[in-house]
Amino acid sequence: MNQGQQSKQGNRHDDDDDDAALSEFLASLMDYTPTIPDELVEHYLAKSGFQCPDVRLVRLVAVATQKFIGEVATNALQHCKARQAAVVKDKRDKQQKDKRLILAMEDLSKALREPVLAARVTAPEYYYLAKNLTCYSYTVE
Amino acid sequence: MSDGGREFESSQGRKKSRNSEFVQAIARIAVAQVCEGMGFQGFQQSALGTLSDVAVRYIREIGKVLNSTANLAGRTECNVFDVIHGLEELGASESLAESGAVREIDQYINMAEEIPFVCTIPCFPVIKDWKVKPSFVQVGETPPGEHIPAWLRAFPDPKTYNLVQDADVGMDKVELVKDHRKKGRSLSDMQRQLDCKGYDAPMVKSKRVADINPFLAVPLRFGEKEVSPIILPTKLLDENVVQNPTARASHVVDDVTNHVSALETFAPAIEAIKSRERKKVHVNSRSTVQFKFGIGKKFLGIQNEGVAKTTSWFGSDSTRDERKRRAEKILKESMENPKELVQL
Repeated sequence: MNQGQQSKQGNRHDDDDDDAALSEFLASLMDYTPTIPDELVEHYLAKSGFQCPDVRLVRLVAVATQKFIGEVATNALQHCKARQAAVVKDKRDKQQKDKRLILAMEDLSKALREPVLAARVTAPEYYYLAKNLTCYSYTVE
Repeated sequence: MSDGGREFESSQGRKKSRNSEFVQAIARIAVAQVCEGMGFQGFQQSALGTLSDVAVRYIREIGKVLNSTANLAGRTECNVFDVIHGLEELGASESLAESGAVREIDQYINMAEEIPFVCTIPCFPVIKDWKVKPSFVQVGETPPGEHIPAWLRAFPDPKTYNLVQDADVGMDKVELVKDHRKKGRSLSDMQRQLDCKGYDAPMVKSKRVADINPFLAVPLRFGEKEVSPIILPTKLLDENVVQNPTARASHVVDDVTNHVSALETFAPAIEAIKSRERKKVHVNSRSTVQFKFGIGKKFLGIQNEGVAKTTSWFGSDSTRDERKRRAEKILKESMENPKELVQL
């Protein structure tokens, strides 16, 4: 019985810590302005049925999306740089031209195909994105 | 009837695509900014479109998960725990479940550079005031048939669906309406008339929309800059207006012709003088043939319809100004002395 009470108290402490951490996190969220505007996120969430007057949750989704796109972009950038490095070895004349990093379809498809991310887009199907995009949750054990 | 139905559907589809264009454009801009922050300097249009589609679908997927989570808990409104649960379900965290989506996002916020969105967006979609149309009872009419209950909305004014000449409609559109009235009314004609009242032809409208809406504008190429427009002095603008009284407002957009309007007035005067006609050349009876003297048709980077006139000045030579002044002078002289031969 005592142990049960103690464990309950322990849980309450954890909950308090969690609550404090969460409220701190939400406060920090309001300081950060995500690149994806709130109105856009609100519009698409409303289309899916999300309903909440709290701006912080909208911001949280916006930040999560920004993080996701940032990861995809970083992977695509790595592919792009790798491709440029390979090209430069062969043709040193074109060094000047290839300095600009451009987001190309092939880099993007490679980046999206990697199973690290939640969204999976298979190579020939990204033209039919509307039909074929599926989201999987990926857990590491 | 089937034709009318199809036309109606297509106009609805056009409306939807017009609404979603704006949202998609904003999404593209936002995604482009994120990628630019990551280090990209340019984008393929298709790649950018795909990535923005992915972002939109991600947001919608989160929304669906949040909605279902809240509904399962017996709520219609979502709270922060729903959001965290949804993010975890979608695999926002690639590491062990313990560290949690929240912590990852927290780290991201602390590390990542803050890039605010470029433009200020108005609150959308704009909700118009709902005009409550009165019912038969409220209006005080009796419905025209026994089968129609009185609590239903009253029928619209017959003027709205009879093809009647409208003061707002332009000249040739009125003629079109007259023709249709002779031939007999149909649903497609009504739609067309409604279109005339509210909308232009889709090509012109889309061009105008692109002109007015900066989000839908064609992106500048690498190294290009937006140039501020030049305001023409009022004197020249008035001259153009005087010389083109029959031109409709929409023709102002075809600005190339306005700038040769002096030469245009000049040409019949020359002909009249050459053929020894004593009559003055009336401005109203001018032919509508336009002369173009090596003026470029397209003006890059200029989006504002009202300033389109000024752009050709921006690109023209000073010799053309002199030529125009000379032409005007000669025309004035010819008007005063119609019998005299003018050597060019």
